[in-house]
Amino acid sequence: MPGAILDSASMALRASREIQGGEAVAIGPGLPALIPGLLPADSAAWFLAESGAVGYHSGEPRTVVDAGGADASILPGGAVVGAGDVAAMLAGGHVGLAIVEASQVSANGDFVHWTTAETPGLYAPGFAVDMASGAQRLVAAMPLASSAPRPNLLNQCNLPVDGIGCVSLVVTDVGVLRVTDTGLQIAEVAPGWTSDDISHLAGSPLPVSGSVREMSFDPPALDWPNKVYATAAEAIGDVPDGAVVNVDGFGGPGGMAHYLMTALRDHGAKGLTMISNTAGIARVARFGVPEGLTAIDHTILVENGQVAKAIASYPVSPSISRPTAFERAYQEGESDLEVSPQGTLAERLRSGGAGVGAFFTPTAVGTLLGEGKEVREIDGRPYVLEQRILADFCIIRGHKADTLGNMVYRGTSRNFNPVMATAARVTIVEVDEIVEPGELDPEEIVTPGLYVDRIVLRPPDFSPYLDA
Amino acid sequence: MSTGSVSRLDKRFDSPQASLADLADGASVMVGGFAGHGAPESLLRALIESGAVNLTVICHGAGNPDPARVGINSLVEAGRVKKIISPLPFDPRAGGPVKDRWEAGDLELEVHPFGVLTERLRAGGAGIGGFFMPAGAGTRFGEGHEVREINGRPHVFQTSLKADFALLRASTADTLGNLVYAGTQRNWNPIMAMAARVAIFEVDEIVEAGQLDPERVITPAIFVQRLVLSAG
Repeated sequence: MPGAILDSASMALRASREIQGGEAVAIGPGLPALIPGLLPADSAAWFLAESGAVGYHSGEPRTVVDAGGADASILPGGAVVGAGDVAAMLAGGHVGLAIVEASQVSANGDFVHWTTAETPGLYAPGFAVDMASGAQRLVAAMPLASSAPRPNLLNQCNLPVDGIGCVSLVVTDVGVLRVTDTGLQIAEVAPGWTSDDISHLAGSPLPVSGSVREMSFDPPALDWPNKVYATAAEAIGDVPDGAVVNVDGFGGPGGMAHYLMTALRDHGAKGLTMISNTAGIARVARFGVPEGLTAIDHTILVENGQVAKAIASYPVSPSISRPTAFERAYQEGESDLEVSPQGTLAERLRSGGAGVGAFFTPTAVGTLLGEGKEVREIDGRPYVLEQRILADFCIIRGHKADTLGNMVYRGTSRNFNPVMATAARVTIVEVDEIVEPGELDPEEIVTPGLYVDRIVLRPPDFSPYLDA
Repeated sequence: MSTGSVSRLDKRFDSPQASLADLADGASVMVGGFAGHGAPESLLRALIESGAVNLTVICHGAGNPDPARVGINSLVEAGRVKKIISPLPFDPRAGGPVKDRWEAGDLELEVHPFGVLTERLRAGGAGIGGFFMPAGAGTRFGEGHEVREINGRPHVFQTSLKADFALLRASTADTLGNLVYAGTQRNWNPIMAMAARVAIFEVDEIVEAGQLDPERVITPAIFVQRLVLSAG
């Protein structure tokens, strides 16, 4: 034997070194489930279990379990969510890394989960297929030297695969292999092992990457990214011309990201596609705005000539005699418009955040808003096909956030905000208060921090009115 | 001033048995819980007592890690289940009654990836007829389904899923059926509540309406038809 065969804990530690600070990491059952307990509890990443634990560590029996049903505790900055929420985090691309136990990996990164190898004719994939499809990167942990049935590094898997072309790295008990465009390459060896030893175990000569290193088992040094920005102007500074932006707000002037909206106006990015419930009606509808004052809403972006297109459910004024700025821009041909029924708009955003490409809804079948869309009869009822919305940026208002981005709202200012937060590449939130991780109860968090990229404190004296 | 009283349907039942008395043979039944955690054990015991057969059970998994406690396995062992729809119907290493009965041809299994099943239930609860998602494309889980390229990626068509009943678990309800959970007891319970024609919740405590903070309610009462106190 060239060197010691690594135990599960060493393999788990090596796999954990792929974690990047601040990301969500989906942990599969079996060997990967060791990782949260092996790393320091203050490690700067959210471990995600399909039980609904986000940001957990091994713990005392109480109310939280991990993916294997073992007792766990939610760490400061973690959250409790439902099974559907965890699945949506993964399918929506919000999870950076997934670590799974595999029983076969192919040269192009296909893999077979261990559950499949146990019972190839009787499927029990659990979360494995979701991890393969949804995680940005996937690391497979798979023994090569210990009792595993070999060959398990193959040109093509000979058991039904659970993921296709998704594995980027294979951590074994004798070394580490990288999946490259030209197949598997030996990148690291365990102490005492050589690349020849590994090729021998694999059953065929494997190419070696330029500099083969000895494996390290030091826990990764992880830092949370700084999400807190000093001003709204800095937080939205990189919104380019032509960006697609989710903007919050319901009807009235309350509960909107007035501070971020104002900064976006001053920033001046043009040609925006603005996704919002209204395209700005608070200015004309007033809804309790005191006499003599003018509400800040989407209108300030429209008036500034920044909105090339609106996607909204309520783009016009309630009164024909008081058209909104958007109506005027539309009539003058300066802005385009796509109208979605409110529930369809919410569902399109939800789909964008949850990895659904398109869906069939009965809403608007047979109406103007259903025209030109694919219609399908399902269980005797006609449905129209609607496409997901995924924006480049999102600006919303929350009540409180911790520095990791976990958020709670106040009252119905919640409205579209949680769903919009999931449906953008960069989500920027404006809050009344920023607290330390652990100060929000994990059970009350509505938007988990993994959806939030930037946080800005709304100045306490910031007025929701233009002229106040 | 009007003094007319507004009567509200009382959702409370005296016993788990009474709460599912109309659950008939052949019903489809969702059961909440994750590895035995957050499972409606009083309701499951009552369902076994009720004698209903030919059930289609939708659940995360059949096993309860503690064999002394009741789980889907108990229902399968009692011969009540015709079919299970689940991402992990049994532990592949430990086996158990589900595996045994499936191998004997007495039990049908419909297996989906975890997130496909949650999304099908969510669609059922939210009025979506069907949807396209990437999970399972190119694998056996996409076989026999329409596959469509959307945004440059193959997506698999899935239909929504609903059930006649859901047997579910939460920690506290108010009398109207608004619910909160304790920790990961939450798991599949909220999404199954949405997708059930009759959602029955077993809870530790029922408080008066108004005693739960509206900001913290996870399952609003409109998704809840029946409440019963847990027998532990």
